[in-house]
Amino acid sequence: MKLLAPTRWMPAPQRIGAVLWISFLLATVATGVFFSAIDPLELRYCVSFPEVGRTTAYTVGFLLFWLLTASSALLSVAFVYPAEQPAPDAQDPS
Amino acid sequence: MNADNGASPPTENPLYERHQKIYPRQVSGRFATARISAAGTLLGIFYLLPWLSWNGQPAVLFDLPARRFHLFGITLWPQDFLFLAFFLMLAAYSLFFFTAIAGRLWCGYACPQSVWTESFLWIERLIEGNHAQQMKLDESPLDFRKFRLKLTKHALWIGFALYTGFSFVAYFSPARDLAARVLSLQLGGAETFWLLFYGFATYGNAGFLREQVCKYMCPYARFQSAMFDRDTLIVAYDEQRGEPRGARRSDEPPGVRGQGDCINCTLCVQVCPTGIDIRKGLQYECIGCSACIDVCNSVMDRMNTPRGLIRYTTQNAIEGGSVRVLRPRIIVYGLILLLLAGVFSWRLATRVPLALDVLHDRNQLYRETAGQIENVYLLKVMNKDALDHRYTLNAAGIDGLTVKLDQPEISVPAGTLLNLPVSLLADESALSQRSTGVRFELVTADAPAVRVTADARFLGPAP
Repeated sequence: MKLLAPTRWMPAPQRIGAVLWISFLLATVATGVFFSAIDPLELRYCVSFPEVGRTTAYTVGFLLFWLLTASSALLSVAFVYPAEQPAPDAQDPS
Repeated sequence: MNADNGASPPTENPLYERHQKIYPRQVSGRFATARISAAGTLLGIFYLLPWLSWNGQPAVLFDLPARRFHLFGITLWPQDFLFLAFFLMLAAYSLFFFTAIAGRLWCGYACPQSVWTESFLWIERLIEGNHAQQMKLDESPLDFRKFRLKLTKHALWIGFALYTGFSFVAYFSPARDLAARVLSLQLGGAETFWLLFYGFATYGNAGFLREQVCKYMCPYARFQSAMFDRDTLIVAYDEQRGEPRGARRSDEPPGVRGQGDCINCTLCVQVCPTGIDIRKGLQYECIGCSACIDVCNSVMDRMNTPRGLIRYTTQNAIEGGSVRVLRPRIIVYGLILLLLAGVFSWRLATRVPLALDVLHDRNQLYRETAGQIENVYLLKVMNKDALDHRYTLNAAGIDGLTVKLDQPEISVPAGTLLNLPVSLLADESALSQRSTGVRFELVTADAPAVRVTADARFLGPAP
C-alpha cells in the first residue's frame, strides 16, 4: 500500500480518508438507491445468483459498491501525481 | 490550509508536521455544560431508541430483511423511497441554514465524531487523570502501573465501542432479540460483521483519529466555508482588545503596561481539541466547540477584565460593523427549508397506506372465450397500514368490462403484500383497437374509504 504511505504532500490519514471514507459514504448512498429499487430475492430468478438471505445480499452488495468507489478514489489519488516526475515520496528527502 | 499552493517544487522541510497526539485540557463553563448536555442527550437517544416500543412493536426499526422501515407506527416501504430522499434533503438544507446563521454549531455540539470523542476523552480522563498526568504517563517507560492503566482504558473503550456497534445493529434487527442472540453467541454473519465494523470505527475514530477526522476526512469541514459570510456566528478572538498581549499580575489594573487584555496564558490553546491557536484568526480546523471561550472567560474573571475576549461573534461585529441576520442567503435557505418541510409533512399526512401494481400476464396476450376477450393480470396489493383490511376491486375503460376474481373478497393482513391473479372480460364488439387502456381501482371495504388506481393495457385481436 505504497499509495497510502505518508508523503510530504499529504498526511497518511488524509489520503486514507480521501480513499476509504468518501467512497464509504457514496457506497452507502449507492446501496440504498440500488436495493430500494431492487429486491435481492427477486434477482435470484434472473441470473445464477447465489441463494442468500436479504441481509447477506445487502452486506455483500454494499462491500462490492465500496470496492468499486474505493478503487476509483485510489486511482484518483494515484493520478493526482504528475506523470513526468517520480511520486514525491520516491524522491530522496536528503 | 497553509499548505503549499503547488507552484514551488518540493522543499526540504515536510509540508506537514508528524501528527502529535493532542491532550486537551478539561474545561468547565457555560458552553462546556451545554456541550456535555447535548452529547448526553444525543447519546441517550442513540442508545435508548432501539429499545423503545410503540404499540407492541419496536418504535424505530429499519427492517432490511423484510424491506420495511418502522418509525413510530408509520411503516415505510421501498416504494416510499421519496420520503427518504426528502428527509435527506431536509437534513442537508437544515445544515446549510444553521451553518449560515450560527457557523459550525453542528460540529461542536451534535456531530457523532465530536460526541463520541468527548465520551472517549471522558473515559481517558477517568483512568489516566488530567491532561498533564496523561502526558506524563505517555512519556514514562512501560511499567506495571502504565500497563494496567492502558489496559483498563482500552478495555473500557473497546467495551463502549462494541456496545455502540450493538446499538447500531439494533436499529436493523429488534434489540431484545438481538441481545438474546449475542448472549447465546448465535449472531448471524452480516450482524457480526456490522457490529464489529461499527464498533471498530467508533474505537478508531473516537480513540485515535479524533480531530484528524475533522481535518482530513470530513467533507462538511471543507465546504462549510461556502456557507459562511461576514455575518455568520463564529468563535473569534477580539484582536483589538487583546493585543498587544503580555503577562500582567492580577492586582495590576488592566492596560497598565500599555498592553491589551490577553495575558498570553495560552489556556485557549491548551483546551483546544484540534490544537489550534484561536488568536491567529478563523481557521478551518476550528470546530466551534467554544472550549476556548469558557476557559478565557474564567481567566478574564480572575484578571478583573470583562468577559468575551474570545466570544461568539461575527466578522462584521468584531470589526465594529453592524450585524445583519436577515440576509439574502438566510432568506433563500429558509424558504427552501420551509418548502421542503411543508411538502414532506403534507406528503406524510396524506400518505395513502395502500399501493397497487399491475403486471399483465406474460405468457398469453389474450384469450377468446365465447365472443368475449379475456386478459389475465397479476395484481400486487400492498397494505401499508398497521391494520388488516378488506378491499373491493373494479376496473373501467371499456364498455361492459367485468372483473373475474378467484376469491370472493380481497383481504390483506397489515404490512403485507398480496399477489392477486385477476381476469378482465370484455365483449369483442366493444374493442375498437388492439390495445385499450384500462384502470383498476382498489377501495377499502371496511374502513374510511381509501382508494388507489393503477393503469394497464387490455389486449385483443385487430378489429
